[in-house]
Order: sequence, then C-alpha cells, then structure tokens
Amino acid sequence: MKLNVDERWDLIDRIAKRTLTFGKYKHTLKDALGDLTIKPLTGIPIAIAVLYGFWSIFCSFAGTLCTDGFFVKLFDGHFLPYMQRIFSNLPGWLYYILIGNPQADNCFEAFGMLTSGLFVAIGVVLPAVFIFYLMFTLLEDVGYIPRLAVLIDTVLHKIGLHGYAVVPTILALGCNVPAVTATRILETRKQRFMMMTLLAIFIPCGAQLGIMQEVIPTSMGWVLLYLLLGYFIFGFIIHKLLPGKSPEILIDVPPYQMPTFRNVRRKLWLRTSCFLKKAVPFVLVGCAIVNILYLAGVINWLSNLLSPLFVGWFGVPKETVGPLIAAFLRKDLAVAQLSVIEMTKYQMITAVVLISIYFPCIATFAMMLKEGWRELLGSLVVLATVVFVYGGLLHLIWRLLGVA
Amino acid sequence: MKKILLMGHPNVGKSAFFNRLAGANVIESNYPGTTVDYTKGYIRLEDEDIEIIDVPGAFSLEPKDKAEEVAVSMLNENKDALVVCVLDASKIERGLYLALEIIEREYRVVLALNMWDVAEDKNIQIDVTKLEQILGVPVVPTIAISGEGIKELVERIKEARAIEVKEIIERVKLTSTPGVEVRGKE
Repeated sequence: MKLNVDERWDLIDRIAKRTLTFGKYKHTLKDALGDLTIKPLTGIPIAIAVLYGFWSIFCSFAGTLCTDGFFVKLFDGHFLPYMQRIFSNLPGWLYYILIGNPQADNCFEAFGMLTSGLFVAIGVVLPAVFIFYLMFTLLEDVGYIPRLAVLIDTVLHKIGLHGYAVVPTILALGCNVPAVTATRILETRKQRFMMMTLLAIFIPCGAQLGIMQEVIPTSMGWVLLYLLLGYFIFGFIIHKLLPGKSPEILIDVPPYQMPTFRNVRRKLWLRTSCFLKKAVPFVLVGCAIVNILYLAGVINWLSNLLSPLFVGWFGVPKETVGPLIAAFLRKDLAVAQLSVIEMTKYQMITAVVLISIYFPCIATFAMMLKEGWRELLGSLVVLATVVFVYGGLLHLIWRLLGVA
Repeated sequence: MKKILLMGHPNVGKSAFFNRLAGANVIESNYPGTTVDYTKGYIRLEDEDIEIIDVPGAFSLEPKDKAEEVAVSMLNENKDALVVCVLDASKIERGLYLALEIIEREYRVVLALNMWDVAEDKNIQIDVTKLEQILGVPVVPTIAISGEGIKELVERIKEARAIEVKEIIERVKLTSTPGVEVRGKE
C-alpha cells in the first residue's frame, strides 16, 4: 500500500507526537559562533580574515618552506647535475627531450621531461596542492564553507549564480578537474555552463599558483585581482546574454563541528592522489610533446605566424610566443619558461595573465567534454573572446599608465 | 541478501557513515548515462562480503534533480536490497518522509538516527524504543563521524524485514500520546 503526500505527512505528524519531545533550546557557544560568522556585519570581516589566513599559510608553506627551502636546493644542487651526468651520452635529440638544455644550472631553465617536468610536478605543484587541500578540507569539515556560501550569495546572484558557486570556485584553486565535477551542485544547465567556463578561464589551479609564486611573487596579488575582476565582469556578460534560469536556493547551514582526523586524512589522501594521478602524467607527457614540437620546428613556425598578434595586440616580446603557444599543453611549465625571458615586469604580468586565462589542461578538457560537447564548444568561444579582449585590455592599461 | 543501499537526505552524514561501514576497497563509479557519481564498497556480514552502495542524497522518491533520479533508479534496480536509511536526528520528521516512502515500497529498512549529538545539543528527546515499536524496523541512534552506534547498527541489520505501512498506521492508533504533549518553544 502506498500513501499520498498528505497521508504520509499526517502519519509522520502522529508518529512524531508520540515519540518526540522538544526541550527548551539552549543557546550554545557553537550558535554564537555560527551567528557571528553569518551576519554580514561581523561575517564579512571574518571571511576576509579567514581567506587571508588561508592565503598566507598557502604561500609560506608551499612557496617558502617546501619549494624554496627544500626542493629547489635538492633538484638544482643534486638531481639536475646527476641527471645531466648519467644521461650525457644519449643522442642529442633524446637528451633534449628528456633532460633539456645541457647548460642549464637550474630546473626552471632545463625544460627536460625528467628534469623540469619532475621538478614542477613534485617540487612545486605537490606542496601547493597538498597544503591547499588540507586547509580546504579543514574548512569544509568544520562547516565553514556553507557560511561562506551564504555570505557571498548576494554578489554571485548578480552574475546569475548563487552562494554555493563558491565550492567549485575554491576547489578550482586546487585543481580544475574536481571543480568541473563540483559544478553539478548548481541547478540549471545555464548555471553549470557559466560556472565551468568561468572557472576554467579565470581560476588558476594549484599548479599555476605554485609556479606564479615562484616566478612573479611580488605582483601575484595584482594578477589574481585582475583575474577575479574578469570572473565577475564576464560572468555578468554571459549571464545577460545567455537564456536560461538562475533559480534561488535554500541552504541548510549545518552546525559547526570538530573535524575528525580520520575523515580529514581520508579526504586529503583521495584528493591529493587523484590530483597526482591526473596531473603528473600530463605534465610529463606535455613536456615531451612540446620538446618534440620544438625539435620539429612546429612551435617556431606557429610563433612566426602568430607573433604579430602577440607582439602587436598583447605587447609581449617575440620570444614569449613559443612558451605561450606551448602553454596549451603545459600551462604551469610555461609560466616557468617565461621566467628566463628578458622582459619588463608589466610584460611578464601580461604573459602570466594570458596563460592563466588560456585553455585549461587536457585533463580539464576531458572532464568538460564529459559534461557535454556543446558546453565545451561554448566555453571555447568564450575563451577565445576573453583571451583577445581581456589580454588586449591589459596592454591598453599599461599603455595608459605609460609603462608599455 | 544481495546488496545494501545507504540512503538519506544530502548532508546527514551519509558519506561519513559509508566510510565507517565499507572497508578498504571503495570504488567511485559513474552512473551510466548521467553525470552523477556514486561510491560502493564491501561490508563483511556473517562471513559474507556484501556490496554496499552510497546512493546519491535524495529528499524524496519523487525526483527533482539528477542525483535524485539516480537514487530512485538504484532503488528500483535492486528490489531485493536492504536499505539503511540515514536520518538527521535533529530533523527527524523530514527524514521520516523518505524512510516511509522506502518502507511503503516494501524494502527491508534499518533506520539510523544520525547526528544524535546534535539532537541532544538542541535538547530534542527521541523515544527510540517507541519509534521502533511503531515503525516495526530497527532504529539505532548513531554519530557517524565519531563511530558511535555503528557497531550496533551492523548487528541489527539482520533484524530488518519488510513492513506493511498499514501495520504502522494501526500501531500509531494503539499507542497513546505521551502525558506531556509537544512542548512549545516557550
């Protein structure tokens, strides 16, 4: 026998009357904290403080402690000379693919698959991703994320999304691949398409953040601000142009909870290992493919073809065209490649911004394709427009400031 | 028994529950033809490995989104499965709606009143014995994140049986309301 909706609620009502008693509700410390972090007046300063703390821990742990303090010394001082020595009698082209430039004295300049590739994957990206996911998991398990969602809801509504869009957005700072999956918490196709496109274009992943920190530590904040502005500006434009609904949502804000070690460990392991499995092969293979393309002269040919666009429109030096083209395949390594090219600080910023808004890595591509090829094509159109307009705009800003 | 389905609303601690129940061989899979992912694993019951599936969160069996559609089809595909229905003990009426829907479809059900500590914090008292009497299925208070009550729940899985919803309606009539009626918020 099946009940209809009213009969069922009626039955529940009667069961509840016989089994539930509600005592007087006491306001606890948890509730007080809950209120403080969700009311805009106190919540917004707290949110800013939390995100700032997140950021500084990320930088000091990943950048200063792990990469500079340990991996750079290990790779440049021991690993690179060792690899250069034991592979020294390989034929020239193979040496170039695997080890890279024989004169290089650091892993940023070598560009071999087994030197720079491994250094970027393990020395730069792994610490960044690890600390990012550790902090994100803690915030999530404590129950802070839904509160952040409520706080930011009004702003995100202006671009047709809602508060929960912070989840894919923040996740994308770790890796775009799980972030694309996380767009499913949004209700309509329009919202999912917008979210996917915006995060693939404007949110740099942990790998890129790690590298940016190494290459442009002082102007990184500005680059991120510029990207964040782009996220809202283009979000607003797509929202206005695209048909479809952006419904309201009701969020259940859970109480604060003490995170348990077991859960944090498990999630951290799942997320980091998933990232390693997806990212490391792509960095290594990307490295090899780009080296082969260089050897075959394809990159040079493309550079010459496209250099008027890059030099004239974006205002970056001709030498950057190679890395910028190669960035389609190995985004994070390309930023590192830029670091050895002579150019002004402003040209460097433009180049880094271009790479950030470029195509996501191949793994993200595959994820987006899984969500639907129409969506992927749409995203590509938006991407092309954004690269052209937003990159050119940056050049214009430099000109107006008189620094280009 | 072929399979155990773990069902419940989103955010009631279902996944924490799953992590406690399923051992090491947890696999994440994609439900064919959709973008919904789910996890499955195995649980050892009376010397037998039984598949346990963490069904995507659903508010009811009248699907409103993709995840709920998948939850309903999983339930339909596994007619002989046992359902562990996870409820938020501090919002028990909402959870009972889903639980009743599953019971009405004549599945064997075990109810887990999860987040029991939250209900206690909120000073909500639940008469578990009486609830069990009325529903006729095992009801176990649990706190999945710390693991409390999980062992008892596993032990009582074998007591689960399919119930006619008519029986529940009859039993509600028989049991009297408590001396003190629902006290207001004051």
